[in-house]
Amino acid sequence: MSAAPLIELTIDGRKVAVAPGTTVFDAARINGIAIPTLCHQQNETPVGVCRMCVVDVGARVFAASCVRPAEAGMVVTTCSERIESARHTLLELLMADHPSPCARQQHSGDCELETLARAAGIGASRFPRRAPRPQDDSSPAIAVAHDACILCDRCIRGCGDIRNNFVLARMGKGGATDIAFDAAAPMGESTCVSCGECMVSCPTGALTNKFVVSTALGAEHGAQSATTEELLALPVFHNVSGTFLELNKNAVIKRRYRKGEIVCREGDFGSTAFYILEGKVSVSISSPMAHVKTSGGERGFLSRLSSLLVGRANDHRAEDVTRRSIPIDAPVDLDYNHPVAELGPGELFGEMTCMNFYPRSATVRAETDCAVLEMLRNVLDTMRKNKTLRAQLDRTYRQRALEDHLRNVPLFRALDQEFLDRLRERVELASFAPGQLICRQGEPADSFYLVRLGFVKVSERHAGGELVLAYLSRGDYFGEIGLLGEGARTATCTALDHAEVVRIPGEEFRAMLDRFPSVRGGLEAVAQERQQANHERMAVLGSVPLESFLAQGLMEAQSLLVLDLERCTRCDACVNACADAHDGVTRLIREGLRFDKYLVATSCRQCRDPLCMVGCPVGSIRRRSSLEVIIEDWCIGCGLCAQNCPYGNINLHPFTVQADDPDHPGRKRAVVRKKATSCDLCTNQAEPSCVYACPHDAAHRVEPRQFFGSLVGAPAQRDAKGAK
Amino acid sequence: MRIDRTHTGWLVASCALLGAACVLYALARPTASPEPMGGTPLGLAFGITGFAFMIFAALLGARKRVPVWRLGRAQTWMRGHLWLGLLSLPLILLHAGFRAGGPLTTALLWLLIIVVASGLFGAALQHFMPATMTRQVPLETIYEEIDHVRAQLRAEAAERIARAKTIVVPENPDEEGAAARGAEPAAPLAAFYEREIRPYLDHAPGPSVLADRAQAERAFAGVRLLLPPELRDAVDDLENICEEERQLARQARLHRWLHGWLLVHVPLSIALILLGAVHAVVALRY
Repeated sequence: MSAAPLIELTIDGRKVAVAPGTTVFDAARINGIAIPTLCHQQNETPVGVCRMCVVDVGARVFAASCVRPAEAGMVVTTCSERIESARHTLLELLMADHPSPCARQQHSGDCELETLARAAGIGASRFPRRAPRPQDDSSPAIAVAHDACILCDRCIRGCGDIRNNFVLARMGKGGATDIAFDAAAPMGESTCVSCGECMVSCPTGALTNKFVVSTALGAEHGAQSATTEELLALPVFHNVSGTFLELNKNAVIKRRYRKGEIVCREGDFGSTAFYILEGKVSVSISSPMAHVKTSGGERGFLSRLSSLLVGRANDHRAEDVTRRSIPIDAPVDLDYNHPVAELGPGELFGEMTCMNFYPRSATVRAETDCAVLEMLRNVLDTMRKNKTLRAQLDRTYRQRALEDHLRNVPLFRALDQEFLDRLRERVELASFAPGQLICRQGEPADSFYLVRLGFVKVSERHAGGELVLAYLSRGDYFGEIGLLGEGARTATCTALDHAEVVRIPGEEFRAMLDRFPSVRGGLEAVAQERQQANHERMAVLGSVPLESFLAQGLMEAQSLLVLDLERCTRCDACVNACADAHDGVTRLIREGLRFDKYLVATSCRQCRDPLCMVGCPVGSIRRRSSLEVIIEDWCIGCGLCAQNCPYGNINLHPFTVQADDPDHPGRKRAVVRKKATSCDLCTNQAEPSCVYACPHDAAHRVEPRQFFGSLVGAPAQRDAKGAK
Repeated sequence: MRIDRTHTGWLVASCALLGAACVLYALARPTASPEPMGGTPLGLAFGITGFAFMIFAALLGARKRVPVWRLGRAQTWMRGHLWLGLLSLPLILLHAGFRAGGPLTTALLWLLIIVVASGLFGAALQHFMPATMTRQVPLETIYEEIDHVRAQLRAEAAERIARAKTIVVPENPDEEGAAARGAEPAAPLAAFYEREIRPYLDHAPGPSVLADRAQAERAFAGVRLLLPPELRDAVDDLENICEEERQLARQARLHRWLHGWLLVHVPLSIALILLGAVHAVVALRY
């Protein structure tokens, strides 16, 4: 929210004050004054084509309120005899060609045009009907009735602005204008992906959903279809197309859980989100907060046979992160030391699983008898457009999670509570579609960002191509360096999937730096380190012909374990040493690609583009400050990182731990839990164990572009310690 | 381990130590009436030093059992094993005054010579064999996985021949060999598979033409002549499978050479240390 002064105007005799930039339509809506509209939808940029929302602003002509900005001192009349007459005529003209009742009116009785016409007392139109326009049934999912189209443009904006598919557009001129798919192809032959955005945007029956499949979520836990009337009665489904809900009635069902029952388990894959109607649930991580021991060898012979999970208190690692909270797929984050939280009515969880099919990030159990709506993605998509829900989600986030996220930023730890409270109210919450640019390298920096939901890709462009620096997830942040330095972005940030971010405006950020000099000092130190690393990286990239390694994907690696096959006696000392250093679980396999006389062993490459990080439901696989990939204590063993790694370098290792027995409260039983493991370069040692233990000087950890550069002729130095 | 320029320091130090020992021996040993050397202070010094070098060399095995303990890099231990182990022989010879002595000391001396010789043999293998293996076995796999890979090759070959039998070839009576093929175009390949390929992949006893690359190439070339063009891919695949099997067999042989010598070196080394300890106790006490 901006701190600029509010604008005062009068609407229907009532004095109101709104923020600058607010349209007259929104000013009226905020103050409870309804203005009819057909082409305007809250989640789309207004275009003012239907003219139903015209109001009298005291000018020569009526103004379309959806596009007219409110001005100080404006006197607005939303309903007068002249305005009503104008609207009446418009409705009559539109109804003249409308095939009443249209498909939407027939299915769910909520065609917006026919509803307005009925309210205005319009029956048969006095204007002649023009020649009928064709139907298009070519799409398997959506029926197109051009006759019912009122050219409101909503479908075009939905397809382009919201979904970025850009299939729909206007075609023709004047009375022959129509909507068209691609170059006037039938919808089924166009590049339409049947996302349904046009259909849910359409106010009439011009675009309606065909009944394609019998969606059926599971029948357990008293599942029952929620009727359209029930759903429309909920504030979060307000203004959602009744046709859409009717034809997707099995895509959203109501479930009831008794106290103690599990709603969903961490690590399970799913495709649904949950909205709590009644009762409370607890959200927790039941996997032990521990990591696979990474230093071994000093224990006895027999004890080395068993693998062990060790908590932070018993095995402090050099890379121990200082995060206090664990990001999960819910409105709250979990405190590391007590990973349990509670959700209540009106709260939504499982969005990331539903939207992007990531594994469940936590276990949800009913704390009281509760009722939830479980829904598939198409329903969640539609629900998220509802401003009431958005406002509710934003409010919850500000109250429950935002401060934790701010505190997790090391720079913000020195801030006092007063400043944090001020920041909490001044930050903006923004959404980005998959692939959408958030900020571009080189452009002026004007904001600092926290990731609230989804994943953001941070990349750097250079002569050799794009270098991905990181994938950021919930609780991570970016943009601070640009605000401090010359004011230009040092990297490009792009939403990898449906991402939501917290934007702190530059002026607030600079106010913070002025008020807290220690924060500025810390930030300058970080900026200097990054610039140094950047110079070194660019020097390497500029000196080696990258194309040589494209075929083997070696250019993506920052640290390779290479074995000189002319020295290696295949004694497996490296593998044994790795297993010995990691509790009997080796993290390297002496097999892989060959380049010249070298074998590139199967071991984490610390990739420049760490695909393993994408989708981690709890953000436990991450980079260190030196760009090494590590797996944190709260890994829930879902295995997504292992699936994502293109080189098979991450493995899940089972451990036997004691956990609560749900069948016998108060007792514990042995269960098997899995944790992901990958090469960590033996960060607690001066040298990787595999290299240290090789008796033949055959094993080396190298930076591939420097190392292989010497083979392809570029001047380079071999660094046996790799990218440490 | 490759013996290359990085061993220069060890070589120089070893030569210097040996040279010094020889000088001391020459100065201390009276040529007029040679006496047993072992019991003299210098002789004892040679013996203790030589035995210490042997013990250090033997400790390499223990060092490999604790690879992550920071006790010095394994490479350093290996080089020390090589050079100090090698030095132990001349030092023991100097200790013994180039005499075999009694039964125990004679046995010890022969044990030491065999252990050092086997060690030199092993060092030579480790110097040359890795490059040989890399060159001759481009399809190398992990040694313990060879049996598993072989099973996969057998399955792949069986599946390939089964698929080849289902290939339909358009009739063309003018084509060379069409009459000989008759109604089953894959019959010659199937017969070759049953006669040669499967026994070879199954390691049936007896010689096989497929065990030698040149002979295998000739055999497959002969089979190709009997087959229509549509089946040439199947022949190529089977030939590649046989080549991979040959490489695995070669890898197994080279691996056994590369590591088999340890079956002589290690037990004899243990015996040498034990008997050496016995000799030390007996010689000093009695």
